[in-house]
Amino acid sequence: MKKSHIAIIIVIALSIGWLISRIGSDDFSSYKNFKTAAMNVGNEITVVGHLDLEEDIHFNPKQVMLTFTATDKDGNSSKVYYNQPKPQDFERSEEITLKGFATDTAFIAQEILMKCPSKYNEQNEMAGNSDSYSEG
Amino acid sequence: MEYIGEHLWAGSLGRLAVIVAFTSALVSTIAYFYFNKTQDKSWKSLARSAYYLHAASVITIVGTLFFMMANHYFEYDYVWKHTSLDLPGRFLFSAFWEGQEGSFLLWMFWHAILGLFLMHTAKNWESRTLPVLSVVQAMLSTMVMGVYIFGVKVGSSPFILIRQLEENVGAPWTEWSDYLVKFPAFMDGNGLNPLLQNYWMTIHPPTLFLGFALVMIPFTFAVAGLLSKDHKGWIKPAIPWTILCVSILGTGILMGGAWAYEALSFGGFWAWDPVENSSLVPWLTLVAAMHLMIIQRNKGSVLVAAYFFTILSFSLVLYSTFLTRSGALGDTSVHAFVDLGLNGQLIIMLLLFALGPLLIFAFRYKGIPKSKKDENMSSREFWMFVGALILLISAIQITFSTSLPIFNKWVGPEGVVPLFKDAIALQNPIDHYNSIQVPFAIVITFLMAITHFLSYKNTASSIIWKRTAASLVLALVLAIIVSISLDFFKESGNSAVYFVLLFGGIYAVLANADYWFRMMKGSVRVAGSSIAHIGFGLIIVGALISNFKKEIISSNTVFIHEEFPANENLLIELNDTVEMSSYLVNWVKERKEGNYRYYDLEFSRFNENQELVEEFTLNPSILRSDKMDMNSSEPSTKHYLNKDIYTYVSYADLEDKAPNEDGWANKWEFEIKQGAEMVLYDVCMIRLDTMVYQADMNEDETDLNKLAMGLRLTLTDMDGKEYEAIPLYLLENSVESHIDATVDELGIKIRFEGINTENSQMILNTWQSEEQEKPFIIIQAIVFPHINILWLGCIVMALGTLIAFAQKLKKH
Repeated sequence: MKKSHIAIIIVIALSIGWLISRIGSDDFSSYKNFKTAAMNVGNEITVVGHLDLEEDIHFNPKQVMLTFTATDKDGNSSKVYYNQPKPQDFERSEEITLKGFATDTAFIAQEILMKCPSKYNEQNEMAGNSDSYSEG
Repeated sequence: MEYIGEHLWAGSLGRLAVIVAFTSALVSTIAYFYFNKTQDKSWKSLARSAYYLHAASVITIVGTLFFMMANHYFEYDYVWKHTSLDLPGRFLFSAFWEGQEGSFLLWMFWHAILGLFLMHTAKNWESRTLPVLSVVQAMLSTMVMGVYIFGVKVGSSPFILIRQLEENVGAPWTEWSDYLVKFPAFMDGNGLNPLLQNYWMTIHPPTLFLGFALVMIPFTFAVAGLLSKDHKGWIKPAIPWTILCVSILGTGILMGGAWAYEALSFGGFWAWDPVENSSLVPWLTLVAAMHLMIIQRNKGSVLVAAYFFTILSFSLVLYSTFLTRSGALGDTSVHAFVDLGLNGQLIIMLLLFALGPLLIFAFRYKGIPKSKKDENMSSREFWMFVGALILLISAIQITFSTSLPIFNKWVGPEGVVPLFKDAIALQNPIDHYNSIQVPFAIVITFLMAITHFLSYKNTASSIIWKRTAASLVLALVLAIIVSISLDFFKESGNSAVYFVLLFGGIYAVLANADYWFRMMKGSVRVAGSSIAHIGFGLIIVGALISNFKKEIISSNTVFIHEEFPANENLLIELNDTVEMSSYLVNWVKERKEGNYRYYDLEFSRFNENQELVEEFTLNPSILRSDKMDMNSSEPSTKHYLNKDIYTYVSYADLEDKAPNEDGWANKWEFEIKQGAEMVLYDVCMIRLDTMVYQADMNEDETDLNKLAMGLRLTLTDMDGKEYEAIPLYLLENSVESHIDATVDELGIKIRFEGINTENSQMILNTWQSEEQEKPFIIIQAIVFPHINILWLGCIVMALGTLIAFAQKLKKH
């Protein structure tokens, strides 16, 4: 076997092993719900859910602190603190992905990703408007 | 039925052109196939004519759609979705490729044009490469076809009328011949996403897609080589195309970074976003392929690898198309497309053109010549080969982490094969990629520096040292000076690794300059590659310094809780001045221009003697799109030679405020217990001293008749002056009422809302008087040191690769 072949095999084997070993490291977190988050206080995790519009959404600009309530996909609710400016169109989000950690009383979000209604849906709304015309 | 005001001819023309493009591409493929078989010239002329027809059709599709958009044919879905009457003409191009269909068309357009060049330059390779290109084009044509075959949606057409959309079919208004004039919704379109209303979006996508399209050309050569068993011949004509592709695709990716930096408030030029990653990965593998082709030309022996990397690059372009267009990245990326229901078709395309050629490669593997001899460790080709492997591993890692959403879909808890209990996500993508990719980058920089000094076959070790020592020592000295002057070791942790990268980057720049001027005496022959490597070295140095040493100078000093990360945003009130690092920042005014709101911020800096040193104004803005109900915050940057001050508005109240009726605003609810003290609106401290109450029972003393509770609160302002407030809570015949207390001097109103029975704390509501509330914005400001090195590197690298391309072309 040629030297270069051995080099290739070693390099590739090492890097694959290393990649797999990293899955368990801090880099990767798993999607959880608020319940499992509360059982792992302080661990960094990701929760996907939606904004609870019936609860108060409060943004205190002086402290740059957004407080709101979110409900995860399994229906667990939690109060969330987010120490960043309120994202634009926050209330319109359909789904929010929260990265952060749980404390005894609330979830501390470090990053929020939002999924907003696509334009496709707005199109439906427009068609809906037209329908209401036909009734009137 | 005739509909009033529709321009049906445009849609019909467009759809017809799509069908013609598809058919003619297939005809061309088949005709080339028969020409190769029979060598009958008439087949070739048929193939060529078919291809001309194909190119003309693609140009017609693009032209028709463009014409429809320019003339506001809002009855068409694509036009309605992506343009509006008030869209400035210069953004028409951006609007064209905003949607999936338009960007597919852009890609096809470049393929069609490149095919024409290929046809007239490839000589005896024409009949073997063009059918590969044509068959890919046929496949792409189906992506914009928008027809149903046996109930399965094939492609998504940009020429579909709104009334023909699936969800509108059968709606009552579609039966009205005058719906276009009747409904205001059709008078104007939805408009272009404000994020894309930027000149970078006019040039970044076409450059990037030209790059993507160019990956196809080396691929067609590789497939042609495999099929015709001309394993050695394809390399030479493929090299200039590959170099051009590396140049254009690289420029396109970097333009995306420049766009993000100039127009998006990401806070940087590279965020390891999945969409960015998936355009970077094919570039990495193609750079590797290019180097392998060059080894093959000069030395031979790496044919297998050259084939593999070339085919892989094109497969990765397709995979990237799949990732960004399947909707799978919706959770993790800000700029992926939405799912158009074409997943099945995308997967078929991926399997056909990614796995197909790899299978052909596997079948032909035996026949590909391989060298028996082992490469010498001191040879140039050995280390170039190692470099290519490093690039491959880097590409694999990026692909792996970017594909997590796909893995979740397949093997996650809700996947096809639920192997894992939890879906997996990257906790902090930027740190994750940086920590893994930096070691690769270090190896690459050193390889870039040393390899040029090695000769093909083998190099005497004494010569290596003589050749490389000068630049190595100089680079080390420079790296030490730079790192000390920039305070590199202030932060612990990764400093050492980043120092090595800095050293490597500087070494790559110096070594290549040294090689070019000292060893090659400035020879034109190696100018291209030397300049390109210098450019890449500069990119590494610039990216490293500007990112690692970036300083967020806006910071909020309000302490909230130890668990909260340090806040990187700062609140400024109108006409107020705040301190930010060495600058005083004053928000002077807010201006409205069209859909833009500009926030004029005056920066000033004073020296120790309180003399004004410099003064400048930045005007970050927010672009508001009412139709889309979307905002885009655009940064504003002060450029210096050695640093940038980058700032954007991270929060602003865009509502034009109607004054509150009762004159009170900023409602805040909180709980307080006896003796506790809290900060109220940064205006004063509030302390609960005592609670007093009075209860009247009814005559037989069984029920509460009337209850009055009062809280004695003490408010202390910043000067230590105390004010007393006693809000009351009343309960009479089960009816609650409140008597609020106001402190006029502080502009605060307090209501005693009740008692939290769980923890016996008092619930209070407070308001601030309207006059106390000034308009405010929240800004973020970042200093990027020496970011100009990065931009210089981009230009130098693009220039170097273009020179290399020109030279190969001349030789060719």
